[in-house]
Amino acid sequence: CFSSSAAAHIGVGISGQEGIQAVLASDYSFSQFRFLQRLLLVHGRWSYLRMCRFLCYFFYKNFAFTMVHFWFGFFCGFSAQTVYDQYFITLYNIVYTSLPVLAMGLFDQDVPEQRSLEYPKLYEPGQLNLLFNKREFFICIAQGIYTSVVLFFIPYGVLSHATQSNGVPLADYQTFAVTTATALVIVVSVQIALDTGYWTAINHFFIWGSLGTYFTILFAMHSSILFNIFPKQFHFLGSAHNTLGQPVVWLTIALATVICIAPVLAFRFLKLDLKPQLSDTVRYTQLVLQKKQKPCGRVGRGVGGG
Amino acid sequence: MMASSYSAKEEDGHHSGPAGLGAATRTRKPDNTAFKQQRLPAWQPILTAGTVLPAFFIIGLIFIPIGIGLYVTSNNINEFEIDYTGTDMSSPCFNCSQNFSWNSTTPCKCVLSFYLDQPFESNVFMYYGLSNFYQNHRRYVKSRDDSQLNGDERSLKEPSKECEPYRTNENKPIAPCGAIANSMFNDTLDLFYINPSGSKTQIPLNKKGIAWSTDKRVKFRNPGGSNPNLTAVFKDTAKPVNWHKPVYELDSEADNNGFINEDFIVWMRTAALPTFRKLYRIIQKNNNMTPTLPRGNYSLEVTYNYPVRSFEGRKRVILSTISWMGGKNPFLGIAYMTVGSICFFLGVVLLFIHHKYGNRNNSSDIAS
Repeated sequence: CFSSSAAAHIGVGISGQEGIQAVLASDYSFSQFRFLQRLLLVHGRWSYLRMCRFLCYFFYKNFAFTMVHFWFGFFCGFSAQTVYDQYFITLYNIVYTSLPVLAMGLFDQDVPEQRSLEYPKLYEPGQLNLLFNKREFFICIAQGIYTSVVLFFIPYGVLSHATQSNGVPLADYQTFAVTTATALVIVVSVQIALDTGYWTAINHFFIWGSLGTYFTILFAMHSSILFNIFPKQFHFLGSAHNTLGQPVVWLTIALATVICIAPVLAFRFLKLDLKPQLSDTVRYTQLVLQKKQKPCGRVGRGVGGG
Repeated sequence: MMASSYSAKEEDGHHSGPAGLGAATRTRKPDNTAFKQQRLPAWQPILTAGTVLPAFFIIGLIFIPIGIGLYVTSNNINEFEIDYTGTDMSSPCFNCSQNFSWNSTTPCKCVLSFYLDQPFESNVFMYYGLSNFYQNHRRYVKSRDDSQLNGDERSLKEPSKECEPYRTNENKPIAPCGAIANSMFNDTLDLFYINPSGSKTQIPLNKKGIAWSTDKRVKFRNPGGSNPNLTAVFKDTAKPVNWHKPVYELDSEADNNGFINEDFIVWMRTAALPTFRKLYRIIQKNNNMTPTLPRGNYSLEVTYNYPVRSFEGRKRVILSTISWMGGKNPFLGIAYMTVGSICFFLGVVLLFIHHKYGNRNNSSDIAS
């Protein structure tokens, strides 16, 4: 029994009358053989789905974040000047974008568990390595790079000649940093909202909460209170107010968001419409069924889309 | 939420078999709560034609008018730009640009004439623009001491190490230290209107209100608190190497002298890109109905102090009016119109594809 575990992807042990040796050597263990069906078809499948979506999003958001510096290099003499504020760089991966993707990685479901057991063929993408392979990886990276191009060049095009409504130019470094950072956080939040297929209350809390936290921390760090305590650290004083109070800046952010998200939306819609996978079809019929049953008093399940 | 059609109890129910002792034995089953059994109530959106296609059309229909509005507003803004670097022989500033020397005490002046064919109404903003000047270079950006500029006494005497090599001069600390302060723009620009009769009237230029109010009120403070004698406050400090005058002689007015000089504050707000403009002066609008800058001939008198030839930079003056969206910026209007049209067109294309090739009846494809 040890050699078969070594050759397999995961080892499953049954704990029972014959002792617990298999259990100690295995990745998963349970007491009855029939639980294997749920392990594979429900939990294993969901785990594969969550892992693939998580990975793709993670590469995407980091490429979108980092490659902006590559494009900026052409305009700053390749001196490695960062586009964003130092604190934004520190907090981006830890605070502003970590929780939504964590929630997606924990709770996402494409079809409910009953359907997973009913249609074992749904297990096939995992066996054929369809959801995250070299091609999918390159698509995620390409999307990240495209996003970074938009996030740099749209503010570049607008802010290089823009001024505030009181005549003061908006082409300064701090305004550019705040605009690009805000656009980035909004775009990646919209992207995770598109990627999340199962919105529990926790997902809502994490996604909207992360956005809210970004703006709170932004205004706090650009306030005069922190500046007066540590002038050299918090030298972005006044940037948030001056930048985000300008209609031109919000128009830029809205434009960048649409340019980044519209192709993704179009592509995903076409994929769903022209070549739906089995999981898409099952999900669709499941939701149509639930919508029909809803007036009959089923509690506890929200249905949307359609 | 226990009230769901799927009940965990029925599947692995026989744990409750030996009921007599059941209450005392600890069961290792996980709790049958919605959270642990992954049955949390959730919204499950899907992308259908009914949501995606209207979204594209709505975005198109919102963006196109916004784009048109922005483009029209931008076109109504008057802007005039004149380059005065003086690299060509025919330019009036040619001699000044060639003969620059750091030690020259007599400033070099040149006069440029231009003609405005549109009158400029309401407040007119005068900018100086520089090209090929990398205020966004990493070593340059960090070469400043924000505590010193905030009026901290200790930083005045001991500026930060980031300011090297513009930190001390002849053993005295430089105030303000750093490369940003050292390279401050010091050309003087004066604008004159040439009346049709030939006489020149100087146009009054307002030097207040050009910097961010947070910078002027909070970020930049003169050391020594409210001591009006700045010469005494800045005693034992040296002026930056490339400056002609020390920082306490930047202006005769006390609220625009020292670190709180608005031209200095404007310069210290580093630009993001190598071609930039900074606000120099504001020309207030006239109280009567005449335009601020009527159509006609003007002359710009430049005191050419700032050398740009060594890095092939260019200098220019820009005069511009302002609207709610700022200065002339056709990029935003054109971008909105383009993106709006593309979204609308994409919506039409997707509608066509969906109509012709889409799977209308999804449930027929499920093979069990």
